[in-house]
Order: sequence, then C-alpha cells, then structure tokens
Amino acid sequence: MSITYLEAIREAQAHALRDDPRVFIYGQDVGAFGGAFKATKNLAKEFPGRVFDAPISEDAMVGLAVGAAIEGMRPIVEMQFADFSTVGFNQVVNQAATLFWRTQVSCPITVRLPFGGTSGSGPFHSQCIEAIYAHYPGIVVLTPATVEDAYSMLLAAVATNDPVIFCEHKFLYYHLKAEKLPSEALPIGKARIAREGRDLTIVTYSAMVHEALAAATELATEGWEIEVVDLRSVKPLDTDTVVASVARTGRLLCVGEAWPWGGVTAEVIARVSAESYGLLDAPPQRLNAKDTPVPYHPNLWAAHRPTARSVAAAARKLLRF
Amino acid sequence: MPQIPIIMPQLGESIAEAAIISFLVQPGDHVEGGQDLIEVETNKATMTVTAPCSGRIESFSAELNESYAVGDVLGKIEVTAEEAKRAGLDVPPPKIGDTETLTRQQSDGKSSRVEPTIRGLPVPANATGASYMSPRLKARMHELGLSAADLAGIAGSGAAGRVTIEDFEKFMANLEQQKLTKASSMRVAVADAMRRSWTRPLATVGLPVVLDALLAHRKACNPKPGPALYALRALAVALSENSAVAGRLVGANIVHPSSIDVGFAVEAEDGVLVPVIRASDKKTLKELVLRYDELVELARQRKLPADATGGSVATVTNFGTFGLIWATPIPLPEQTLVLGLGAGRKMPHWDEAKGQFVPVTEAYLTLSFDHRVLDGGAAGRLLQRIAALMKQPELL
Repeated sequence: MSITYLEAIREAQAHALRDDPRVFIYGQDVGAFGGAFKATKNLAKEFPGRVFDAPISEDAMVGLAVGAAIEGMRPIVEMQFADFSTVGFNQVVNQAATLFWRTQVSCPITVRLPFGGTSGSGPFHSQCIEAIYAHYPGIVVLTPATVEDAYSMLLAAVATNDPVIFCEHKFLYYHLKAEKLPSEALPIGKARIAREGRDLTIVTYSAMVHEALAAATELATEGWEIEVVDLRSVKPLDTDTVVASVARTGRLLCVGEAWPWGGVTAEVIARVSAESYGLLDAPPQRLNAKDTPVPYHPNLWAAHRPTARSVAAAARKLLRF
Repeated sequence: MPQIPIIMPQLGESIAEAAIISFLVQPGDHVEGGQDLIEVETNKATMTVTAPCSGRIESFSAELNESYAVGDVLGKIEVTAEEAKRAGLDVPPPKIGDTETLTRQQSDGKSSRVEPTIRGLPVPANATGASYMSPRLKARMHELGLSAADLAGIAGSGAAGRVTIEDFEKFMANLEQQKLTKASSMRVAVADAMRRSWTRPLATVGLPVVLDALLAHRKACNPKPGPALYALRALAVALSENSAVAGRLVGANIVHPSSIDVGFAVEAEDGVLVPVIRASDKKTLKELVLRYDELVELARQRKLPADATGGSVATVTNFGTFGLIWATPIPLPEQTLVLGLGAGRKMPHWDEAKGQFVPVTEAYLTLSFDHRVLDGGAAGRLLQRIAALMKQPELL
C-alpha cells in the first residue's frame, strides 16, 4: 500500500474528526464534492453534519471559524487556493492572530492553503504566500515537505491553540508517495536534516526540499557533500538547527519558491548573519522565484521557479567562492 | 582587615602582558610600600612588581611561569584601614555623565574618511580577491591568535586564490604533524613589529663611506665610541637640520618628530632590542659614549629601563658586526628610517695628488625608508649628509 501527500492530508482530517468532536471542516465544495483537490473526499459521508460547504467568501469562512473557535470549536478551513486566502486576510491577521492577546481567548483554527506552482497554473493559482502570514505575530505557519509531515503536522496544527496557516504544496499532492502513515513525528518548530553533508548547507522548505535534494544528488557526483535542512515550519523558525548546520559547512544557500522580497529566505539569512557571522566562510546566498507574477506558460514557469538545476548552479557558484 | 589587590602594572609602552619568573616574598610576609614583590619578564626586559602599600601578603593568585595581562590581579595585601584610605579605596568612582559628554563631543567632529562604494553603498575595500578573509576565517584566526602573515604559506583554493576555511583547517592539521616549538615572546614581538612595518612601501639606498678619519678619531678617544655611535650621532645631527624626513605619514599629514630620539639595534637572545638615546642631537659624541655603552650592556641583560625603549624616530643598525657589507634593514613600524652600517673593508682609492691607488677602509651606509614619506632624492641627500659628517668625526 502506498499513500500520497494529498491522501495523507485527507487521512489526517479524518483522524482529527474521529478523535475530537470539536473539529469540523468548512470550505467551498468540501462537502459532497469532496473539495477542489478531493482533500475531503467522503469525509462529509463519514462524519455527517461536520463537513460544511461555504459560500464563495473567504472573508466569511475565516470569520465564521474565528467565531466558532471562540465558542470552543476547532475548525479546519479549506481555501481552494492559497491565492484566494488574501480575500480572508483581514480575518486571519487582524482577528484570529490578535484574539488571544486582546481577550485571553485562544483561537485554535487551522486554515489549509493549497499553495505553490504547478505547470500551467498561472498567477492566481500558484502563489507562495507563507511569508506574508509569517510576518504577523500570533500565527503559526507550517510548510510540510513530506507525506509523513503533511499527515503529522496537520494533526499537530489542529491540536495547536493558536491560528495555524497550513501550506500544503499542490505540486506534491499526487507526486509524493509514502509506504505508510507515521506513528511519531518531530514537534512543530523543529527543522529536519533531510540530507547530511559538510560542504554547503541548503536551507529550504516544502516542494523546494525535493529540488534541493535532487541538486545535492547531482553535486555528490562532483564530489560535493551538500547538507539539506528542511525547515518544516517557517514560523516558528528553527534557527538553532540552521546555525548548527552552517557551523558544520560554513556556507549557506537558502532556497524558496516564494518571491525574494522580505521572504523566508531573507529572514534565515538575516538571522544567520546577525547571530553567527563568524561561522560564515562565504557570503550567504538565496535562490527564489523570479520577482514577477507567476507565468502561465509551462516553459516560462519552469524558468520562473528554482529547480534542481538552478539550485545546483547556485550551489556550485557558492562552493567555488 | 581591608585587602588591596596586587595588580600587574603598566610596564612600558606596547607591553600588554608579562610572565611571572619568581616570587620575592611569601604569603604571610610583611612588606613595605614600593618593595619588590614579584619578578616578571616582558618581551623587552625583566622587571619587578612592587607593593602598592605596606601590609601583609595575604595570598598570590598568580602562578609561576604563567603570563598575565596588564591590570590582572596577581595577589592580595592585607592592610590597615588607614593604609586603605591612603591607597584611595574610599574614593567614589568617577561620574558616568562626564565621559558621556566627552564621547558626544568627539562624535560631533566631522569625518573626512573616504569610503569605497559600489552603486553608492559602502563596501569593504577587500571584499574579493586573494587577500579576502571570510568572517569565519577571521574568527578562527582570532581564536588561535594568528595574523594574516601566518597564512602566507597557504595556497588558497577559493575565488581569486582566497584561503577558504577548508584550506585553513587542512593547513593547521598538517602543522600538528610536524615538530612544533614555542616561539619566545621576544620572537613574537619582533615578528609582530616586522609584520606591521611591512605593510608600507619600503625602499633602501646605499652609499660607500671612507672610515679612515673616523677610525683615527676613535683610536684617540678614551673611552672609545662604537662605530654605530658615530653613525647614530651623524644621523641625529642630520635630522636636527631637517627633521621632516623622519616624519611619519598618517592620512594626509606628516607627523614631525618632537625630539630627535634615536635608537640602535642590539642583538639579544633570540631577537633584537632597540635602546633609545633621547635628544641625541643635543649631546656630543663624547657625551654619549658612556650612556651608549651602558644601554648596550642593559639590553644584553634584557634589563632596559622603560625610558630607554620605544618612541624613537629612527634606528641605527650595525650589521657590519656580522661581517655583512650590505643589507636592507626594515624600520620599526613607528619609524620612517633605519640607517645601516656595513663591515669596513680595505679598498683601493685613487689618490689624485700621489697619482696612485692608496688603501682606505670603506664601509657601506644604507638607509631604508618609507617611500610614502620620502623619495630616493631626499633619502640620498640625507645619506650624503650623514656620510659627510662621518668623514669629519671631530664635528660630532
């Protein structure tokens, strides 16, 4: 038996609904239709009255979830695409994020954002917007890169008393498979060494972990040992694991599918530069998507986002410094 | 009873630490203020730490053969309350407000620094290339107490030949497999001075000088001045006529010497010491002989007094004593000039009056200088003047 990244997300939601009567799912077409990507397939049938279709208003969806959370529920909100969550942005960052600070009432909502690019999806169905949520205090932002993490981190998100933005990468939905679901997991806020090495550290997250691992495999044939750090959660950010890796390698390359300006890669480099300047044997570098809207055309899209090839090229440049 | 710390004193300019050689008193002993307590050795001389006041030695925290920085506590003296008051222990610390005003005034001063820029942004001047040292390399070298000169033997594998941290660690690991002996503090001090001096464009000019008049003059003297002292005195006289050539260039300013204090090199165990004769332009050769001989002896014993080291404007070195006829000595980092004297040799000189070659004793004078401050012409004129003075030793 094998299970995909998307199936793991469905299983985690089924698990959460089964375990905790306070959990319910709310989103456009999540009921009988089973969600835009079938992440809630059959859940309405299995858990009657706990999986609701929402109107086409992200603002209303998050607003309802915040109200339910105040009343003691633990809602999961599915956005059809992360890109559309900006319509509900006000409810997330102004209401949910500040609720506990204003009222001492927790806001345990999980907002699932199918995010990131797939070929031909274009500017409104491809964006990576984890950084704008991570900017706000009071929000946890998760970016699982593996089937196991998609499952265990979604369970952890539902169990968390703070609002969680759960960024699930659409490119990984069907591509990524695992043998079985995990029985244990690293805690939220702890990064993972996805590959050990001693020449250069690549810090990345979500789908880019797989590009980085492919680049590391390619560079290994040239004699380089690349360490790949999978952040898992971009907020909280596990600076300790990143710094420990840079201490081993002396070189840092951050890779993100999001735009460069003020992003997660910038934050990682700022932290390493400020907190462990003396560990750097080369200027820290980052590789991001091009600073333009995401293109439709598959060829343009492939050139827009970082790929194993461009990651390897950036790494080679840094290794030669 | 109050206790007063015994502190490693400031033992001289540019001395940061000293090693404990011996304890001259024991804990429990009664000592008088000013009494010698501990014998210490710096990279320049052997000195003593004295009691700050009268009292009973409570303890020594310093250990034999260990080095301690200036200001470190070496032990404690138990004293009476009156003695503590006399030592100023009941004086309140200075007000913080005063120093704050001072810093503000200083920072208001306009800076005319030139900063290299790329697209208008300030960048380090050596951001790339073989001389670039990464933050990590700098941190490691600092940790190990190394300087840039220590990297000279590493062929860098990084961009433009820069030394990467991997190159560095490999180099260090290889060193551990070789025989290592501890360099003396004197060796380290000389290395540090030479390394700092070598950051400047240094050049050397030379001129033969006939020494017969000088040697005859020396023979008639009692006590006899050393040949280097003639050169020192000639240099002092020449500099008193024009001291600008001994000035130091700092930014866009020539810093003129305030006094013609000239040092001379004395070989000591595993290094060189440079005793200084203050205001050497103000005394005659005859008046300097005893002081010169005394300083040579003190230097060899490594017991130079603090007022006879450092702060000189030029140095004289008699490399002729090693049988060398020519050398390019390096001036001390705080100096612009070093005058060298080679070994005297019998040479044939054409005598116009006799119409034949006659034997004379000739030696080379060399002058090494900071080419930023003076050029070959000025250096040549200075050397000519020195040579002329050495040919008329009775004027010295």
